Amino acid sequence: MLRMPEPNPNTLARRKDIIAAMREIVPATGGVIVDEDQLRPYECDGLMAYRQLPMIVVLPENTGQVAAILKYCHTNKIRVVPRGAGTGLSGGALPMADAITISMMKFNRVLEIDWDNRAAVVQPGVTNLGITRAVEHKGFYYAPDPSSQIACSIGGNIAENSGGVHSLKYGLTTNNVLGLEMVTIEGEILRIGGKGLDQSGYDLLGIITGSEGLLGIVTEVTVRILRKPETARALLLGFNSSEAGGNCVAKIIADGIIPGGLEMMDAPAIKATEDFVHAGYPLDVEALLLVELDGPKVEVDYLIEKVGAIARDCGAVYSRISESEEERLLFWSGRKNAFPAIGRISPDYMCMDGTIPRARLAEVLTGMQVLSQRHGLRVANVFHAGDGNLHPLIMFDANQPGELERAEEFGADILKLCVEVGGVLSGEHGIGVEKRDLMPEMFTEDDMKHQERLKLAFDEDELLNPGKVFPTLHGCGELKTLHAREVANKFPDIPRF
Amino acid sequence: MTEVISPTTPEQLRDAIGWAVDAKKPLEVIGSGSKRAYGHAVAADHVLDLSKLTGVLFYEPEELVLSVRAGTSLAEIQAILREKNQQFHFETGNFPALLADDVAQNAGTIGGLIATNLSGPRRIKVGAARDHLLGFEAVSGRGEDFKSGGRVMKNVTGFDLSKLMSGSFGTLGVMHTITMKVMPCDEKARTVLIACNDPERAGMAMNRAMGSENEVSAAAWVAAEDVARFGIDVASAMGTGLVALRVEGPAPSVAWRCEALRKLLAEFGASEELHTTNSATFWKVVADVAPYGGSSGMLWRVSGPPASGGVLAAKLAARTGGKVMMDWAGAQIWLRLDGSDAMAGTVRQIAQSQNGQAVLVRAPADLRAEVPVFHPEDPALARINRKIRDNFDPVGILNPGRMHLNITEGGQV
Repeated sequence: MLRMPEPNPNTLARRKDIIAAMREIVPATGGVIVDEDQLRPYECDGLMAYRQLPMIVVLPENTGQVAAILKYCHTNKIRVVPRGAGTGLSGGALPMADAITISMMKFNRVLEIDWDNRAAVVQPGVTNLGITRAVEHKGFYYAPDPSSQIACSIGGNIAENSGGVHSLKYGLTTNNVLGLEMVTIEGEILRIGGKGLDQSGYDLLGIITGSEGLLGIVTEVTVRILRKPETARALLLGFNSSEAGGNCVAKIIADGIIPGGLEMMDAPAIKATEDFVHAGYPLDVEALLLVELDGPKVEVDYLIEKVGAIARDCGAVYSRISESEEERLLFWSGRKNAFPAIGRISPDYMCMDGTIPRARLAEVLTGMQVLSQRHGLRVANVFHAGDGNLHPLIMFDANQPGELERAEEFGADILKLCVEVGGVLSGEHGIGVEKRDLMPEMFTEDDMKHQERLKLAFDEDELLNPGKVFPTLHGCGELKTLHAREVANKFPDIPRF
Repeated sequence: MTEVISPTTPEQLRDAIGWAVDAKKPLEVIGSGSKRAYGHAVAADHVLDLSKLTGVLFYEPEELVLSVRAGTSLAEIQAILREKNQQFHFETGNFPALLADDVAQNAGTIGGLIATNLSGPRRIKVGAARDHLLGFEAVSGRGEDFKSGGRVMKNVTGFDLSKLMSGSFGTLGVMHTITMKVMPCDEKARTVLIACNDPERAGMAMNRAMGSENEVSAAAWVAAEDVARFGIDVASAMGTGLVALRVEGPAPSVAWRCEALRKLLAEFGASEELHTTNSATFWKVVADVAPYGGSSGMLWRVSGPPASGGVLAAKLAARTGGKVMMDWAGAQIWLRLDGSDAMAGTVRQIAQSQNGQAVLVRAPADLRAEVPVFHPEDPALARINRKIRDNFDPVGILNPGRMHLNITEGGQV
């Protein structure tokens, strides 16, 4: 069972004072939420298995308010849970009974589109798709596109370093962020990066991206926007085995082709999505590849031919090329609706998120079938095949006693398998609380302590998003202590000159 | 007398740093030492030399991944990648040749490359070295092993310490193992050249190209007097300064996009096209900043928002009397000064006026002892950076003073 840090009784006892202080900082109606029925919507994020009512929720409207709130929390040692749109799948915004949840959803304005520098400056509550919407009339878009893009906020994308189906070619959030404004727990406003490509000192932009709300609260984001490719076409390729499909992916990339999208589904996922959206997927294949090529028309037509030929060599038993934009979108509609499609055939499902070296795919899928039988639960797989990011969907019924726990154990076993073959616990959803206790599968105590030392540089009192990412937070004292060691005789074996 | 410690295994590296922590002896950390003159001098009696910690751990071309020991030479790595028609996508040039004369091709080690986060012309499309570091293993300034990342392309498992280590000049930890993302070489590359003498106009031309759908993978401007140094007849024959725009990809696409770019920019001046070999030569010279290479004169790297590049370059040239060259579509400007004055105040003031910053890449040692090499950090960020360094290297033994002037032995300011 998930253990969270114990609520601080002193904080709970001062709830009234804290509310008063927050109302002073954020006087707008509805800016401070204290009633249980209004707190209820904030009790979980996209990871709905875990719920906890926040002590209070505050919705600041500007950077000054965020700074004042954090300064107050720092002075009074009150814990803080930052929250974006609440679509995160690893529980990064799970509230705490003694913490203020700071919702950033009033930061919803696009501040500037700088066409010459190909940059958009937005507030963190703007949705991922909202950025593309703001620039598409001039033929631009924002490349990272997590499947929740219609709802998820760019601030949340920064926290989780979100990816999406185009990340093989266009990178993750971290490769597309140019600048940030962030408020530290001490209430200091930092401006990092900008519209250029360099910053002085350490790469703070790089470490804040993907830091899951543990280092500060982002109040402004500058991202690069790209010109939309002239055209895009997709191929559907069916194979009799996941090995053959995986082999085809490897051959495409080895041939120097980096598709805009390269997705794979296994038989259960194909069936569930086809039953749901009728995209015309073949039902008699074990693996379905969706390959999208984008760029100038002449390039796309050329590469479609090449990929088609590679697929034939790899034993594709089904091949269809989109002949219109409608057909391309139809191909995608299955993949994009994979999660709700699974939701239709199972009362509940849990979406996992591991990354593996692509060559180990068949082995991991076989291992997953063994685990599926052992845990007595079904699993379907959608896979960002190009970059090895697996999304196994574990099906269960939370109303059956013990099934949620079994699903969680199954999920943990899958992630352990990912790490075993050289992969990682999370490709794009983050660790949050969901995978927190699995961190030692990948990291030694010293590895994690070094990560925590980075945290310490920003938040010495560990007030920001406690209980997330790290199984146990070592105290400041322990992290700073330098252990004496015995290096006898000044390392006699090392060559010296 | 300086003592050189050369570990050959990660265990020996840990022992060496462990000793230095206990003995409170600062270490100057080097790979092959090819970029030693970049940054501030490190005051240390002991040199920790990583050049014997070498070897390829694995290279899986189909997985686009390469893992090596940090002391492995770039020359060796580039040769291995070339065999499989692959490359580091961020296209680093021969940076050490900007610091000294007669430097061999591909000088330096992979560790040094990551520690300085270098990247070449393709950065505008694919990012810097830091965007291609998948994972590392290191020993921190506490003498403890730590690692982050892994060997896969997508990874948000814990803080992204790979970013922290990139460009940290060995001040936080010493990497012994480095895992990189590699990419296939493109089928075809061509470069469109447009006659243009005025840097401001060149900036506008590059902007228009970058805002088009032609996926330009490099955009530079070279002044007329520097064009001869490229040794490309087609370029020299144009007799003017040149805007250069590279497109890469499948052959039919490259031809189509070159055509589109020439049409798009017709009003800026006459145009020419460089095909495979000439195109490669051209960008090698830009990546190496070869016209400004060698040991004489001073060299600044000024970077800012790309759209300000033209204005910035023109101002820098006019106010300092130096020579300028633009890369990264204007986001990076090389400024060469031939006098004995680095003109740091002027250069930094101009850079800041356009939200940019300036790094003094090459200058005599006595000057680097007085002028901050790296652009001064914002005080709030400097405090955070300082805390990070103190937490990773509490005794101040790893390259003290390399990134900042006035930080001496023991990490004290």
